[in-house]
Amino acid sequence: MSEVILKNVGKVYEGKNRAVQSVNLEINDKEFVLLVGPSGCGKSTTLRMVAGLEEITEGEIYIDGKLVNDIPPKDRDIAMVFQNYALYPHMTVFENMAFGLKLRKFPMEKINERVNEAAKILSIEHLLERKPKQLSGGQRQRVAVGRAIVRKPKVFLFDEPLSNLDAKLRVQMRTELARLHHQLETTVVYVTHDQTEAMTLGNRIVVMKDGIVQQVDSPLNLYNNPVNQFVAGFIGSPAMNFIEGKIVNDDGIKFTSEMNVLQIPLDEKVFSKYVNSKITLGIRPEHFSDEDNALNKIRITLDVVEQMGNEVFAHFAIDGKPIISRLKPKDTFRIGAEVEISLDKNHFYFFESETGSRIV
Amino acid sequence: MAKVKKYLVLALVIFVAVITFLPFLWMVSASFMPTGASNTYPPKLFPEKFDFSHYQVLFSRLNLTRYLLNSIIISLGATFFSLFLNSMGGYAFAKFRFSKKESLFKFLLSSMIIPGQVTMLPVFLLLKNMGLINTYWAIIVPGMASIFGIFLIRQYAFSIPDSMIEAAKMDGATELQIYLKVILPLCKPILVTLGLFTFMGTWNDFLWPLIVMTDSNMYTLPVALANLSSEHVQDTEMLMAGSVITIVPVLIVFLALQKYYIKGIMMGSVKE
Ligand SMILES: Nc1ncnc2c1ncn2[C@@H]1O[C@H](COP(=O)(O)OP(=O)(O)OP(=O)(O)O)[C@@H](O)[C@H]1O
Ligand SMILES: [Mg+2]
Repeated sequence: MSEVILKNVGKVYEGKNRAVQSVNLEINDKEFVLLVGPSGCGKSTTLRMVAGLEEITEGEIYIDGKLVNDIPPKDRDIAMVFQNYALYPHMTVFENMAFGLKLRKFPMEKINERVNEAAKILSIEHLLERKPKQLSGGQRQRVAVGRAIVRKPKVFLFDEPLSNLDAKLRVQMRTELARLHHQLETTVVYVTHDQTEAMTLGNRIVVMKDGIVQQVDSPLNLYNNPVNQFVAGFIGSPAMNFIEGKIVNDDGIKFTSEMNVLQIPLDEKVFSKYVNSKITLGIRPEHFSDEDNALNKIRITLDVVEQMGNEVFAHFAIDGKPIISRLKPKDTFRIGAEVEISLDKNHFYFFESETGSRIV
Repeated sequence: MAKVKKYLVLALVIFVAVITFLPFLWMVSASFMPTGASNTYPPKLFPEKFDFSHYQVLFSRLNLTRYLLNSIIISLGATFFSLFLNSMGGYAFAKFRFSKKESLFKFLLSSMIIPGQVTMLPVFLLLKNMGLINTYWAIIVPGMASIFGIFLIRQYAFSIPDSMIEAAKMDGATELQIYLKVILPLCKPILVTLGLFTFMGTWNDFLWPLIVMTDSNMYTLPVALANLSSEHVQDTEMLMAGSVITIVPVLIVFLALQKYYIKGIMMGSVKE
């Protein structure tokens, strides 16, 4: 059992610079949790507080039921993989991996056994005698992971471990990490700002912004039920489109976009209290269609057409704002072509423009 | 044309090297000449036959073994303590977070403009009160920590990524273990450089040992040599033998470590 619990955790740097604010999080045993969010939102700070590398200025962190606020990193039984790998350059791969075990006074046979086992899992057995500078980026990454797993810690922490790798290697390592987690069955907290990593790796995703947790949910729930405009825009690629407008009462409650290109009739019960307030409509690229004969049809002119083979990303404008749609490929989609396109009203998201919070 | 230029430069370099090397060569060869033989005309560059008598006299009658030992103990001691303390200080200034760190460091740096001679008297009195005059500590203690050494290590330690230290913390290392097993090995080139500076500086120092070592048993080699030269003004060959003994150990240390030394000086100039 090794769950991690954060209670009202906050971090203020040097008494004034607030990085993290009242984070509440329960990470279950063997769970793979991702922290995502834009740069500077406090992901690393949160992770480092769990690691013990950063003092916890507010709140409490429990690992395995034990309050760890005042426990130094070495006694928390956790391992961390750093973005720049942080291997010890003066030690061989073997020594790098064995370092933590040696400090913990493991007997030599045990160390050999653990290191060889980890090296096998990561297929770096042939590299054990090398120094880090004789390794490629991907190999260094593996060694860094190896150094973490030999200790069999309660919790693994990863801080953007793949961001220094090239695109192809990143995809490969991502798959390997997923497999590794399955194999090792250890609790993992993983920081990334790559939302593909977030969607594919985790059991649950924590979306952060400006030091505040926006939403914690499974990847699919985040995608389908974002609580606010920020989460909606952050999860999904290409990102959700946003069209600004307001609610009017003119022959029934309607959403009209700023330049009246879009007119969407709405449910009175939900929206009557928003009459005359500014509302943002969100719609994902895949919820446009050129086949459906449903309502909400508009004529648009294609600006850019990206043929991907199995699908096409068609760019156009509504109300002068750029929109991306994801359609089934067709020969007639060309730059400048006029197309009738419909919006799937079952997949509309409405947000209060001012606060960004979702209207359900 | 380029080739001619290359040879010209080469010739110049050889010429300067020979000029520089000659006195050294003469010192060594004169030390093997019988008394008076180095002052004959025309001067001789090499001894006609090797005469070891000066060395014998130096070590037997003139107590040079004692001075050599003094010099070795003092220089090694000073080097050890200076490496130990300066590396800790430099590492702390580079990597630890504590309040007033920058202003404290600037204050320390500013003390570098005070010339060493000014502090000699106060330091002497201080040591005297501590009862350290005429002990090895009289030379070792004042050189144990230096701003220059701290500065050198600090600049070098900046190049060690924080995450390396954090990784060691996660691996379970205590602060002392991080310092001993991660920081010191990584700082090796700069430690060698600083160690060499300290060793040579202490070994060659004349004024300070002269001031604090009044007991002739505690003389270091340079002081003993100076005494020798006033006692045996006429015996050039004997003096040269003494000089050889004084210089050779530093030379050996320097040659043995020069590989690292050059690496240390070049380190940090290029970011990897
Ligand atoms: N040592 C520090 N001292 C002061 N402020 C800091 C320190 N470290 C981080 N911060 C601030 O705290 C905030 C959160 O930083 P953090 O490193 O946690 O962001 P992040 O989400 O990891 O971003 P990135 O994706 O760029 O790594 C930032 O505004 C940053 O400027
Ligand atoms: Mg970060």
